[in-house]
Amino acid sequence: MFRLALKSVRHNPKRLILTAIAVALGVSLVAASHTFTNALSSGFSGLFSEIYAGTDVIVETDPESAESDGGDPFAAVEAVFEPAVVDDVAAVDGVDVAVGGIQVAGSVLPPDTGEDAPTDPFAGGPPSQIFNWSGIPEIDQSTLVDGRGPEAGEIVLDIDSAPGLGYELGDTVRIATDGGVQDFELVGTVQFGESNSLQGATLAYLADEDAHALAGDPNFQQISVLVEDGADASAVAGSIGEVIPDGTRAITGEDKAAEETEALDDVLQYVDIFAIAFALISLFVGAYIIVNTFRIIVTQRTREFGLMRAIGVTGSQVRSMILLEAIVVAILASTLGIIAGYLLALGASALVSLFVGDIFGTMTLPIDAILWAYGLGTLVTLVSALLPAIHASQISPMEALRESATSGKKPLKVRNIVGTALALVGGIVIWMGLFLDLERPYIYVGAGAVALVIGVTLLAAQVLVPMAFGLRSLLTRMFGVDGKLAANNIRREPRRSANTAAALMIGVMLLALVATFTESLKTVVTAQFSQTSAEFFVFSAQGPVPQGALDVIAEQDGVSAVVRQGYMSVDLDGQSYQLSALDADTVDRAFDYDTEPEFSGIDGGVFISPDVRDAGVAVGDEVTLEGPEGDVTLVVTGTMATSEEASLWVDWAQGVELAGDTLETSGGMVVLEDGMDVDEAQTQIQDALADDFPLVALQQPGALEQFANQFIDLLLGVISALLASALVIAILGVANTLLLSVTERTREIGLLRAVGLKRSSVWRMITVESMVMAVFGTILGMILGVSLGSALVLALEDFGFDGVTVPWIWLIVYTVLAAIAGVLAAIWPAWRASRLDILKAIATDG
Amino acid sequence: MTTTAAPALAATMRDGYKDYGFGDAAVRALNGVNVDIARSEFTAIMGPSGSGKSTLLHTLAGLDRLTAGASTIADTTITTLSEAQITEVRRKYIGFVFQSFNLIPSLTAKENITLPLDISGTDVDKAWFDEIIGILGLGDRLTHLPAELSGGQQQRVAVARALVSRPEIIFADEPSGNLDSRSGAELLGFMQRAVKEFGQTIVMVTHDPTAASYADRILFLEDGQIVDEMREPTAERVLDRMKQMGH
Repeated sequence: MFRLALKSVRHNPKRLILTAIAVALGVSLVAASHTFTNALSSGFSGLFSEIYAGTDVIVETDPESAESDGGDPFAAVEAVFEPAVVDDVAAVDGVDVAVGGIQVAGSVLPPDTGEDAPTDPFAGGPPSQIFNWSGIPEIDQSTLVDGRGPEAGEIVLDIDSAPGLGYELGDTVRIATDGGVQDFELVGTVQFGESNSLQGATLAYLADEDAHALAGDPNFQQISVLVEDGADASAVAGSIGEVIPDGTRAITGEDKAAEETEALDDVLQYVDIFAIAFALISLFVGAYIIVNTFRIIVTQRTREFGLMRAIGVTGSQVRSMILLEAIVVAILASTLGIIAGYLLALGASALVSLFVGDIFGTMTLPIDAILWAYGLGTLVTLVSALLPAIHASQISPMEALRESATSGKKPLKVRNIVGTALALVGGIVIWMGLFLDLERPYIYVGAGAVALVIGVTLLAAQVLVPMAFGLRSLLTRMFGVDGKLAANNIRREPRRSANTAAALMIGVMLLALVATFTESLKTVVTAQFSQTSAEFFVFSAQGPVPQGALDVIAEQDGVSAVVRQGYMSVDLDGQSYQLSALDADTVDRAFDYDTEPEFSGIDGGVFISPDVRDAGVAVGDEVTLEGPEGDVTLVVTGTMATSEEASLWVDWAQGVELAGDTLETSGGMVVLEDGMDVDEAQTQIQDALADDFPLVALQQPGALEQFANQFIDLLLGVISALLASALVIAILGVANTLLLSVTERTREIGLLRAVGLKRSSVWRMITVESMVMAVFGTILGMILGVSLGSALVLALEDFGFDGVTVPWIWLIVYTVLAAIAGVLAAIWPAWRASRLDILKAIATDG
Repeated sequence: MTTTAAPALAATMRDGYKDYGFGDAAVRALNGVNVDIARSEFTAIMGPSGSGKSTLLHTLAGLDRLTAGASTIADTTITTLSEAQITEVRRKYIGFVFQSFNLIPSLTAKENITLPLDISGTDVDKAWFDEIIGILGLGDRLTHLPAELSGGQQQRVAVARALVSRPEIIFADEPSGNLDSRSGAELLGFMQRAVKEFGQTIVMVTHDPTAASYADRILFLEDGQIVDEMREPTAERVLDRMKQMGH
């Protein structure tokens, strides 16, 4: 049986080529992402073990206790170790050296910064890592290459950054922090680890006192420990654990490296899941092609199977033979896909290495890539071949004796009923996922989408018949008899045409969905910026904007107001809310918030957003807010229309009462006096900031809006690129179906040629057929995609989406591309059809 | 073997050779054939299987190319034409009726009949169309698809299609081969009428003496050469002649 299947594949490999490519394309995505992330993981685990290799024990804030505080996991590590703790640790048995470490949040500036201040707050470039210098290579993880270690007022840089930034020994190095810019003398260069592989970051070391001063904190964030010779690191870590404060822990360097690698792997796992999701989409599309191919093959071989049945082959043997054929194709295709995927990963890593340096370990094909690839490839192929195989097993021996293979036209009734049911269920489940407050709504949306897509695919056959009928006269008028024949061909096998079109529909649906979403998002962005009347937004590359910088701006001529805005989390009646504090007296001139009354009327009270109103608080009530640094009781004096940005709004003064010094300006807005030239003012302010706050940048709202829109477009671009393989597969599917139906219609085409149809006409006939299928699939996809996208946008209305924007331009682009794709997909089949030998065609049996 | 020339010739072949394959595997299907097909005549080509009769039909009709020699359709030498030009000749001057699979399954009977006109973009001569349909008795079958027609009806549609564009010549390859004897006789009768009443030229390949007896003239083919010719045939005479050829 296996030999028969193998022979059958080998006997007519052409009809399976495109099927195999479809499977291989989907599989290659899986293999590529696994290989890529695996290499990334091994590269970084190498880096981590290098970082922690020298240090035996690390004393640090316990990440678990930090999280349980509800603290922001991305916030800078708090300096919790007083110098005395370092001494305590050093006194523990087995400890050789204990050194306190502190990292400074700041940037090493290039020598000429000042006139040429950074104008793009988002293009910060690789960050600077600034630490205190201990002089012990194992702890610093760096060794001096040139010069000497830093003392007060001095600095060392890593060997790549110093020349990279343009510094030489003896030069004055500028470091920008929250507090301003400070100068240090470069006294040495160091090499990080063994090869100074910093992935482009700048590494700098200062003397302890300077580091403390710049960080504004006399404490240490971490204590690095070297144990005495022969002492057991984990035992020492245990003893240290007893002397350090609560909420901190001692961990061996080895464990720490493992922990970091594990954390990275967790992240990379999401990359894999993401890639598998897109691979599944591709394979799902591929499944359509496989179903079509096997169905057509079974039809074409009806007599063959009938003959087999007549000579005593059982139905189940026929079935296993087709399934075996499917497995052979699946294994060949998956192998091809794995190889392609591996090469793709090699290419991608080479490209990435080109930009960010060598961050990859050895490129090996991980075992799970192979398992996933073969597993998915075989599963999809088998499942898709199952129905045609069952169909083949039911062929009666009588079929062998039939004169012509006119397959009985089964009515579409069952298909329509199942299709309607699936589409309805899919629609309802999607609606549930989007609008009911269910846990893990994406599962509902995903499952619903699959059901909807299959349902629409089944229904598409019914739509195609009248549509092709309607198109017939139009196509006949446009293309003459070629067009008429093309329309007829589509109508003749509605199932086949529908499946083919539906394969394209899926990819286009996702594209249209994303396009609808991003276009609506753009509308939101545009609406947001249209509320702005401020001339500039103020940002800092380092996070919060220092008050000093705001003061500098406010002092400039022509600046009418500088509006601060900061955020914090506060509790109200045991519930946690986002609170925004802003300069209430001036904010109305900078931004048109939708409040009642205006912010100037806040009167030291609090404005509440809909979600707080929903919790039962009303204007006039008195509420007690529990902030990070203090509780404040305020009167509700007004309302805000949306909850998207924050739930509670107070004046800056009340913000300070709640949060104390921790209230920082996350973004500021600058309003100029009337008649000021905006560009001139920007240059003037930027110059003024250059001395002490070079990392603070001004952005005009227009530029920022443009930037935001570019970012959204990038998102659309990335997703479109990831969907590309699904689309390519779908186009292959169109080509595949046409190719198989050309084979099937050999006699018909021969007859047409005999009675005088030119080769070019045959070509045109196939092309029209292809284009109609492609455009039909695309239109279906766009209808579904825009509908689903609109549903998604409506479901997210609470997050500030304000109505659906239909991406008309994209829809037109997709349609045109679909037509072009149709022409391309027709090339091979049309070439085959037009080259058919007339004599052979009309002589073909049955 | 040359016949006396009629006033005008619909098709001719001079020294036609046709080889299939190369070298040792080469098979000579036509071995120096000379044929003149007179206008308004019903010519049958007969011969045992392998005699080259189908090849003769295909090369005369421009479906296949001669290895050597020349052939003409309506005074146009087609052996030197390009593929596209031959297609043009077929469309303009030739009608076909095959043994089976004559019709495009997705087109109705009427659309199948007018297909050659649709392809060349010519208007249908309504009176002529109605006359053909009337004679062939297809009036109530025009909107049917081929699958809904009987074998005899399908072949009649094929004949109607061949006739509708008034081609110079119709080539028929075993047109009654798949039909029962009554439908076959009916069909051949129609073809005979087309020749007698409308002056249509028809060339038909057959191995059935009864079918051949409808023709005005029979050419006997053996081993790629024309070996005999018979005028005003009857089924008995044809049968006798075939027996002489060892069949």
